[in-house]
Amino acid sequence: MSVIEIKNLTRDYGGKGVFDLTLSVESGETFGFLGPNGAGKTTAIRHLTGFLKPQKGSCAVNGLDCWAESPKIHGSLGYLPGEIAFFDDMTGLDFLNFIAEYRRVKDKTRMRSLLERFELDARGKIKKMSKGMKQKVGITAAFMHDPAALILDEPTSGLDPLMQSRFIELILEENKRGKTILMSSHMFEEVERTCRRVAIIKNGRLATVDSIDKLKAAQVKKYVITLENEKAALAFAKEFAEEDVSETRVTVSIAGNIRELISQMNKYPVAGISMPGQSLEEIFMQYYGGNKNV
Amino acid sequence: MFNATLFKSGIKGGIKTLALFCAVLTMYYLIIVQMFDPALGKMVQELAAAMPELMAIFGMNLNSATLTGFLASYLYGFIIIMFPMIFSILSVNRLIVRHVDGGSLVFLVAAPIKRRDVAFTQMTVILSGLLALTLYVSVLGIVASEISFPGELETGKFILLNLGALALHMFIAGICFLSACIFNETKYSVGIGAGIPVLGFIIQMLSNSGEKLEGFKYATFFSLFSTDGLIAMRPNAVWGMVALFFCAIALFISAIAVFTKKDLHI
Repeated sequence: MSVIEIKNLTRDYGGKGVFDLTLSVESGETFGFLGPNGAGKTTAIRHLTGFLKPQKGSCAVNGLDCWAESPKIHGSLGYLPGEIAFFDDMTGLDFLNFIAEYRRVKDKTRMRSLLERFELDARGKIKKMSKGMKQKVGITAAFMHDPAALILDEPTSGLDPLMQSRFIELILEENKRGKTILMSSHMFEEVERTCRRVAIIKNGRLATVDSIDKLKAAQVKKYVITLENEKAALAFAKEFAEEDVSETRVTVSIAGNIRELISQMNKYPVAGISMPGQSLEEIFMQYYGGNKNV
Repeated sequence: MFNATLFKSGIKGGIKTLALFCAVLTMYYLIIVQMFDPALGKMVQELAAAMPELMAIFGMNLNSATLTGFLASYLYGFIIIMFPMIFSILSVNRLIVRHVDGGSLVFLVAAPIKRRDVAFTQMTVILSGLLALTLYVSVLGIVASEISFPGELETGKFILLNLGALALHMFIAGICFLSACIFNETKYSVGIGAGIPVLGFIIQMLSNSGEKLEGFKYATFFSLFSTDGLIAMRPNAVWGMVALFFCAIALFISAIAVFTKKDLHI
């Protein structure tokens, strides 16, 4: 059964926006909603939360129309906005207590355990908090009423790597508890560990919906090998017919198995290896390039 | 219709501003009540005859011979228009504009609470503030007058005057509130919501001051609040007050309807 459903959704902001978007998230699924900045992710999400009325098409959560029955939906929905703005004059704790009371959440044990998990002392004024701290307050507000479904717009932005992995743990736990999660991101790595299926949206249109495994298989990974001298670098590059050499650094692109790379590396004086982060655009292009070859 | 948590938070957030306005108004009331001199009534009349434009610009006139008339012209011509007007603008800004433009409205509408109830509750916060302010200055005026000039104030008329002021300010708050519910950006919601009443007030002040602009006298809704008319209990003035009251309700109802149906880019 689909819990979150977008059907032929269109919202035209004059070229930008969302066009004829259709996708659905099944019950108990963690679904990644990927797209570069400005692709229309947030616009689509604002329809799901009932902030915007669809120009065409419709959105539903648990079979309820997102525009007409927004208050009912929000009873069992957690939402983390992409750009969080709080009531600045409150402390984090005051704010969370206010939201809990406003939503009529009586049990605050979950709120406390979330604050502990993210090591957040929320007693300070929100105005003075760093971006990461604000993000943690937002995450706590989205999860503290233990909703059955969650819509998270770029949830890890502002979090440091440790907190990012704490967040991923939280998502995995919630997934095990049967929660349905839609999570948007502009980074592949972020959804890689949590989502089984992803949709990629580009210029407001759905580019693809596929399993994360297929996307990963199509992914050409880049490895930057640093050698001890330029001569070795040139010789090493020849082994892979690679031309991307700058001084002692060679960039090798490989899809799938890297056994060959490792065995070659054993023969050369390798000083270091690193993997540059790949943009979603690159992965997206590779995915499409790969499909054409098949 | 009404969310008690939101109401409580709204009142808590505005209590300092309310206290500040009450303090400033207390100062004005105490000073102006003290300035009244029954014997001075005659002098004021002479002054008004000598410099009618200057007196008129602040809405002061010949009624000022009695204490009720004196307070009506010195307090309710300018002070009691300007301060509550600023109070309304600030309240609407705090309760609606800031949340819409800044985006913190997300937390109020992404909850099992209807948008209609959010807007309605914020309206009750604004109206409670105005009611509290009016109640305070009414009691203050009566008490200050009774202490300094026992028996001089015509309490019934003075209360009617305050009711008239309340109706006017509900109407002004209605304009601000509607504007805040229509527009998403502060520059438009405040610009128009505060701009209309401020401009109206300036036109009213200028039209009071000279014959050239006399024609504009009835051009703004401020003419529906007639201090002279109310303390003389003239039917026209009472009808003006009733009209302001019902128009204010219409403004608030439309504002809530707009807020319920609008697209929120938050």
